[in-house]
Amino acid sequence: MVDDFIYLDYAASTPLDPLVAERLHDCRESVFANPSSNHAAGRISRAMIEGGAQQLAALLNVDPGTLIWTSGATESDNLGVAGAARFRSHRGKHLVTLLTEHKAVTDVFQMLEKEGFEVTWLKPDAGGCLDPAAFASVLREDTQLASIMYVNNETGVMQDIEAIGSICRERDVLLHVDAAQAVGKIPIDLQALPVDLLSLTAHKFYGPKGIGALYIANRPGCRVDPILFGGGQQRRIRPGTLPADLIAGLGLAAEIAQSRIETDLEHLGKLRRALWAAIRDVEGVLVNGDIESGFPGILNVSVSGIEGESLLLELEPICVATGSACNSKSQEPSYVLRALGRSDRLAQSAVRFSMGRPTTEADVEFAGRRYRQAVARLRDLAPEAAA
Amino acid sequence: MSNDAYSARVRDYFARPAHAGDLSGGVAVDIDEQGVRIRLAALGDRGRIQSLRFRAWGCPHVIAACEYFCARYEGAPIESLDVFQASDIMNDLSVPVEKTGRILVIQDAVRSLGRIIGGGSAA
Repeated sequence: MVDDFIYLDYAASTPLDPLVAERLHDCRESVFANPSSNHAAGRISRAMIEGGAQQLAALLNVDPGTLIWTSGATESDNLGVAGAARFRSHRGKHLVTLLTEHKAVTDVFQMLEKEGFEVTWLKPDAGGCLDPAAFASVLREDTQLASIMYVNNETGVMQDIEAIGSICRERDVLLHVDAAQAVGKIPIDLQALPVDLLSLTAHKFYGPKGIGALYIANRPGCRVDPILFGGGQQRRIRPGTLPADLIAGLGLAAEIAQSRIETDLEHLGKLRRALWAAIRDVEGVLVNGDIESGFPGILNVSVSGIEGESLLLELEPICVATGSACNSKSQEPSYVLRALGRSDRLAQSAVRFSMGRPTTEADVEFAGRRYRQAVARLRDLAPEAAA
Repeated sequence: MSNDAYSARVRDYFARPAHAGDLSGGVAVDIDEQGVRIRLAALGDRGRIQSLRFRAWGCPHVIAACEYFCARYEGAPIESLDVFQASDIMNDLSVPVEKTGRILVIQDAVRSLGRIIGGGSAA
């Protein structure tokens, strides 16, 4: 089955690392007890969770006690943004975010607007980057929280979180960072990086689906109100029985990522350069987002005169995305690319190639050839005016 | 229920559109609506449609629907274009309902083509 396609959609999800798969299998055989139970079997589950927390904490350089387990980045984003905004609402109700955030963040801000919060929606520049000075200019006395993603899931554009975080610290504004596309892929040192809340999910870095975490810095005023209720687990911040096996898998995926993050980055950089070299002279093709500062695992390109859905089908058996995977059933052009100033038609023609550890140079060479052929055939089919 | 967004016929017509291209000496209509651009060209002879060709910019269903129309109506009486129904394409190609608007654009183009070829105006 795997041989039937070439997978270039690693930003949507990654396969399990074989060692992680083995760990999950072993855990599911023997670790099943409720970790809250005070018997021997429960203690085994608790030990698995503590081990996973230590591995993830080592990747991020944080204390394991600052990590709250969730079902994934969507829940982490919801808890981090809504929880912090509500916790600090007595101080002020102004919030700041970026138009190009993931829906798991923008939808929460829209919900908070209905609750009476005021949100400033910042527009990035044409390359997708947020100017820290522009960010600083919209902060007010009553600003309590900002949420800025680290690596954009559609374009790979990376924000200057260090500069933005420093501004937030100076102005006593909490900074939440959606790092779903960053954790395990680029070095993140939360002792050095001024971030208060950070969301992540395991399945973006070769761990299991269904498990993620929210980092909550141990700083005064940095707290979240829960969004789920029903138990005392995780200091009542996020109740619910913890999946020890998934946490063990996430922990091992984090440990593996930490050991090879530089190797992975070098590998992805080579692949992206090769892919771009293969398609850059296609007439009308352009990169979405600033390629120089972007995460090397993602190459998002638009091309004039081509309809995106047909392009996607013509590219088979290559698995790529047109918009973010979470939103790919929508026929609307990507709101992220529209925010970068792309026309509806250019945004609609966008293809996101995202490479991963298993991707080979032969894969991207094939993808480049296929892309050129697909564009040529669809242009040949089109009426002259649209070509 | 299939988890494929495209029926086998749509995939086949999209991959091998035998009627894609232009016609010399015939009549043609161009339509640009609903995010779809199509050009349908026809050559009539003694009350029948002798040849049909199309060009299309749109989703796979639109391209497949144009090929379906051309394959089905070549050789048919010109009058049959006046009663062409988008619902035939929707049913035969299993087009999802959210794409009805795009298929109706093709219906409009076909009926316009019928009027032009019936009146004999050249493209």
